[in-house]
Amino acid sequence: MGPVTISAGLDFTALLPDKVALITGAASGQGRAAARLFGAHGARVVVADINDEGAAETVRMMEESGSEAVAVHADVSVRADVDTMVAAAMERYGRLDVLYNNAAVQMSGRLVDCTEEDWDLTIATNLSAIFWACRAALPALLEGEGGSVINTASTLGLIGSEGYAAYGAAKAGLVLLTKQIAVEYGPSVRANVIAPGSIDTPRFRKVLDATPGAEAFVEGLKKNIPVRRLGTADDVARIALFLASDLSSYVSGAIIPADGGLAVYR
Amino acid sequence: MSVAIVTGGASGLGDAIAHRLARVGQTVVVADIDAEGASTTAAAIADAGGRAVAIGCDVTSRSEVDAMVAEAAGIGPIATLVLSAAIENVTPLVDLSDEDWQHVLDVDLKGPFLCMRAAIPHMVEHGGGSVIALGSTLGLIVSPGHAAYSAAKGALVNLCKQAAIEHAPDNVRVNLVAPSATDTGLFMKFSAMAPDPEKLRAQIAATNPMQRIGRGEEVCDLVAFLASDASTYLSGSVIPLDGGMAARRIV
Repeated sequence: MGPVTISAGLDFTALLPDKVALITGAASGQGRAAARLFGAHGARVVVADINDEGAAETVRMMEESGSEAVAVHADVSVRADVDTMVAAAMERYGRLDVLYNNAAVQMSGRLVDCTEEDWDLTIATNLSAIFWACRAALPALLEGEGGSVINTASTLGLIGSEGYAAYGAAKAGLVLLTKQIAVEYGPSVRANVIAPGSIDTPRFRKVLDATPGAEAFVEGLKKNIPVRRLGTADDVARIALFLASDLSSYVSGAIIPADGGLAVYR
Repeated sequence: MSVAIVTGGASGLGDAIAHRLARVGQTVVVADIDAEGASTTAAAIADAGGRAVAIGCDVTSRSEVDAMVAEAAGIGPIATLVLSAAIENVTPLVDLSDEDWQHVLDVDLKGPFLCMRAAIPHMVEHGGGSVIALGSTLGLIVSPGHAAYSAAKGALVNLCKQAAIEHAPDNVRVNLVAPSATDTGLFMKFSAMAPDPEKLRAQIAATNPMQRIGRGEEVCDLVAFLASDASTYLSGSVIPLDGGMAARRIV
């Protein structure tokens, strides 16, 4: 993303100077795109993921373009990993300004077919993990000049869709958890939700590969999206950048769809 | 004779709802982790001329939920499932323990999931049914200190929408009632812990557009409507029962 000049007095080329951002699920897709964009805007980024190889690759890409980053292993469905992840960020950089909870699992299955194990893993990864991360990181965020919590929900956390009982419930819970943080820690910490729709990431492609008639399925999806295309990881990363930066200094408790208008179309 | 399962039926709103559904002619299965309390409710219903069966059931236990639903199905077709069992926890997020977080999510969110998963196939088999979940104003808007409760109740909203969409063709309707503080529910337990319960209740009432808290009977009216054939085209809805409280705040 090149320099943007829409307002005098603000430097849109370095929106996160000296800030430290922790991004979960940053080994690929939306998390990696955000890590690279945050880095390009001056942030030092803690790249957390369960996938060590992908996290190392994100760090390598960032260093290649002159950004600073460190990879941290974390299975966010495990509370101890989440605590260690936040501690590692503090140990490395001594401060934390942005917590971007992006890691998630997506399992589909109709409610009556959802196993207790799938339910528990989805709730742990997509909801409890964010509670754990916020609980661990809030003291550090409160110490700074104004922390920002960014939580990735989903269009499916706002509306229902066949086959997403556990996922939709976890994402909707995350929306309220985020509002709760906005209300409880409002004076010093902002907390907002990004609700992505259909985003063309490696994970999305993996689901597609397992879908019979994938191309027709994608065409069907696009018909329901007012802008008539899938989103990109960069589309979402730019919203995250806005929420991480001082550009959004009066935005808290908000739900920002990154869905090409999908949620309002239904 | 149709069967209505009411979880959390031993006390509070669950108890009131169980009585109401018995009065409109359903055989009520009063399910509660407090088996003794469930028996007391069932006995009171029988004394008033209704039919009720008490079943001890911890809604966080898959095996207990499955057994409870199977027993209910043995009594007759399950037409109504009221998801009323819930707990509340008031703690600032950074002080909330893993155990309290998990317990609230298990009772208030996983419990409804397990109950729906067990009961809906039975409803489908018998031509349909009505699921009524008790959500909360705090699943729509938030208030400091309710991280776990708000997250669980917010998630419950979408879980119900999911179930509504998946089983609309099967004539299983799923709706959520979102009460604010009532004179019968968890609010009375919670406010009783305050140094001056009556003062707190008056303060809460004063913040409501209607200048009063809700009445248990008002919740029962809405649940009975959602259980009845008066609401056959209503599914996936979220109905605030709060004197206008959630409407006043930007959601």
